[in-house]
Amino acid sequence: MFLARKLVLAHFWVAFAGFLLAIVLGEWQMYVRSPLHEWINNPEHYYRSVTAHGTVMAYVLPTLVAMGFGYAITELALKRPLIGLRWAWAGFWLVVAGTVMAAATVASGKASVLYTFYPPMIASPFYYIGVVLVVVGSWIWVALMSINLRAWKKDNPGRAIPLAMFGNVTGAYLWAWTSVGAAIEVLFLILPVALGLKSTIDAGLSRVFFSWTLHAIVYFWLMPAYIAFYTIVPRAIGGRLYSDTMGRVAFVLFLVFSMPIGIHHLFADPQIGAGFKFVHAAMTAVVSVPTLLTVFTIVASVEIAGRLRGGTGLLGWVKALPWDNPMMLAVAFSFVMLGFGGAGGIINMSYQLNESVHNTQWVTGHFHLIFGGAIVIMYFMVAYDLWPQLTQCGPLPQGLVRTQLWLWFVGMLVLSMPWHLVGLLGMPRRMAYYDYSNPVLHPQAWTVTASTIGGLLLVISAFLFVYVLARAGRAAAAPAPYTFSRTAHANERTPAALNSFGLWVAMMIGLTVVNYGYPIVQLAVLKDTSVPAITIGGP
Amino acid sequence: MDDERLYTWGNPWFRWSVVSLVVLTVLSFLVGFVVLPSVQGDYRAGGFWASICRAAGLPGNWGAGAAADKAGPPSTSVVLASAMARSGSSEAVGRGATIALQQCSMCHGVQGMSEADAPNLAGQYPEVVIKQLEDYKRGNRIHAFMIALARNLSDRDIADIAAYYDSLPKARTAPARYSEGSAPALVRVGDPLRNIAPCIACHGGTDHKLGAPWLEGMPREYLVVQLNEFQKETRRNDSHAQMRNMVRSMSAKEIGELADFYARRPKGEGG
Repeated sequence: MFLARKLVLAHFWVAFAGFLLAIVLGEWQMYVRSPLHEWINNPEHYYRSVTAHGTVMAYVLPTLVAMGFGYAITELALKRPLIGLRWAWAGFWLVVAGTVMAAATVASGKASVLYTFYPPMIASPFYYIGVVLVVVGSWIWVALMSINLRAWKKDNPGRAIPLAMFGNVTGAYLWAWTSVGAAIEVLFLILPVALGLKSTIDAGLSRVFFSWTLHAIVYFWLMPAYIAFYTIVPRAIGGRLYSDTMGRVAFVLFLVFSMPIGIHHLFADPQIGAGFKFVHAAMTAVVSVPTLLTVFTIVASVEIAGRLRGGTGLLGWVKALPWDNPMMLAVAFSFVMLGFGGAGGIINMSYQLNESVHNTQWVTGHFHLIFGGAIVIMYFMVAYDLWPQLTQCGPLPQGLVRTQLWLWFVGMLVLSMPWHLVGLLGMPRRMAYYDYSNPVLHPQAWTVTASTIGGLLLVISAFLFVYVLARAGRAAAAPAPYTFSRTAHANERTPAALNSFGLWVAMMIGLTVVNYGYPIVQLAVLKDTSVPAITIGGP
Repeated sequence: MDDERLYTWGNPWFRWSVVSLVVLTVLSFLVGFVVLPSVQGDYRAGGFWASICRAAGLPGNWGAGAAADKAGPPSTSVVLASAMARSGSSEAVGRGATIALQQCSMCHGVQGMSEADAPNLAGQYPEVVIKQLEDYKRGNRIHAFMIALARNLSDRDIADIAAYYDSLPKARTAPARYSEGSAPALVRVGDPLRNIAPCIACHGGTDHKLGAPWLEGMPREYLVVQLNEFQKETRRNDSHAQMRNMVRSMSAKEIGELADFYARRPKGEGG
């Protein structure tokens, strides 16, 4: 790497410090809600903790990981110094300042509105301003990714953009457009009320704007993991990427389809017409296509590794895989969790099936499994993989890393499977306590204890992760130059459509206008739709 | 790649991706807006165009039959506004004190602490006093004395009386911590399976909601009577039946425990 080493390290360390704090809060929530502890006296403390946990895990951690990884990719894949280093640092400090501001507001009890805001609840304006600063900091990153790619293209006319950078810039553009929904909601609907200029808020319209962000943000979280699948995993396990083109197709499909589908979060909201709910449900189904393409391509790439190592026959290559390699372990764990989580997701997005799981603990189980499980385990691998480049350290202790990954995998399943089960039984989410002495609820009590134990394994795993990174000693020799995966077909030709973004960004914006335009305009012009705001944490 | 042109119909990537997206979009709109509504009786009832409008989320005549649906008189017509919760000027407090001493102190006590099982008003939130007086004035809350007294009060009188009582110190009762053993479960955590919210979620403790009165130190008898009236629906000036829904499934014993809790006095004060 050239200039960005300290920058990337700063992003990662702040991300992982926040992650540690937030995971402890998450475990505390599980514990006080379980039969192991008496009912919490002040449920506000519970929601305060949920808000902090969600804000850090959903906004701060993935944004910083995506930004840091993005800067690293820019230097490692384009093989040239990052343009705009000062701006990148400015973006970093904006994110840090926003995080501190939002965290302090949440900690003081002035913003227990959960990270999804939920108007008509209104928190202190400092909370929203903090979140806005985090997003503005990330917009600087978006601009820098675009600028760096443009400069590289200018100097390398006719060459294919390296796949890692292609995925990285896809993630950046996706995020830029995705964050617009929540930005509009916060700036035009929530902040005027939080600042005391208005006392009512159009909660229905606010929720529609948030849904614009709420689903695509998931794909922004997911992008670093997918980049790692395509460009790190095959190299790390000694295989070849089966198809570079398939990776590009998956990335652009995310760009087009991940955004205009968010209304599937609002199936129970009466202000949206059933027609739009159906259209969004149908298009959500399309988003499973790039994931299925990815699973196919990565399994094929892994198979190449197995066969290169002498595996033969229909399944013999599976046995020949380097199972003691942490990357192999992580990608297997990630796919298992992606499989369960994805299957659950298809139930969530089905207009009818959703009715039976809407707002139950099932949903919490779903997104912990898919984000906290399948995606975050790849964040770990990204950090482990980049660490020698970033800190000049020697090889990381493989045994400890494997233990950490096993703990995370087992912990996440033990945490989230009981949630799925009780969700089907009807246990609502976002509850500070349950009355386990009630005969109806008593049989479900053990599941909450199980989740608490799963959470404990995750906490141990998280501390182990940070311990491994912190203890990595300096190596005597400089690390070997960093490489991304090689493709199986070295002369694969990249079509112009998959070497630029214009067409896909245009489709993304066009589809957004078609899928969101009417509901937004209709709700915006409808009269008498505002409700009194409910101030959280006192005036 | 080199000089391959992308934005032209001749480029298969361009052609196929645009065509597929348009076809997918048109198909899903057709299914969502035409096919599915056409198999739903209530969508189809108003004709083809109406069913599309309904699928698009256009509000129909939701409000039209609403008045007829609700039996009985409205529970309250007072709209709570955050401005009502502000403390009054010293002039308003002085004026309010004069009216209060003449008209209220007989039952509610000279300092707003009743010795006649009427509610304490000392330190009561101003919007609470305003709302209740307005409800008495408009006949939405029934009490022989209060209706007669409130009838003659102007808006300003009401606001000033509220400002006066707001200026007096609140009755406080020990303990301040809501823990197991020191407060009944209904007060602390409610009963989720009966849809009873904790008292302290609105009446102070963990949160105070606009329009919810300060209850600590209230006469026990007053609290029991009010909860019983909510339960029997003889008192119905709580908007959206908030209190009636809370009390409906409570037993007489539970009501007694709640009243005991809020009416308790700090140790050594007797009474």
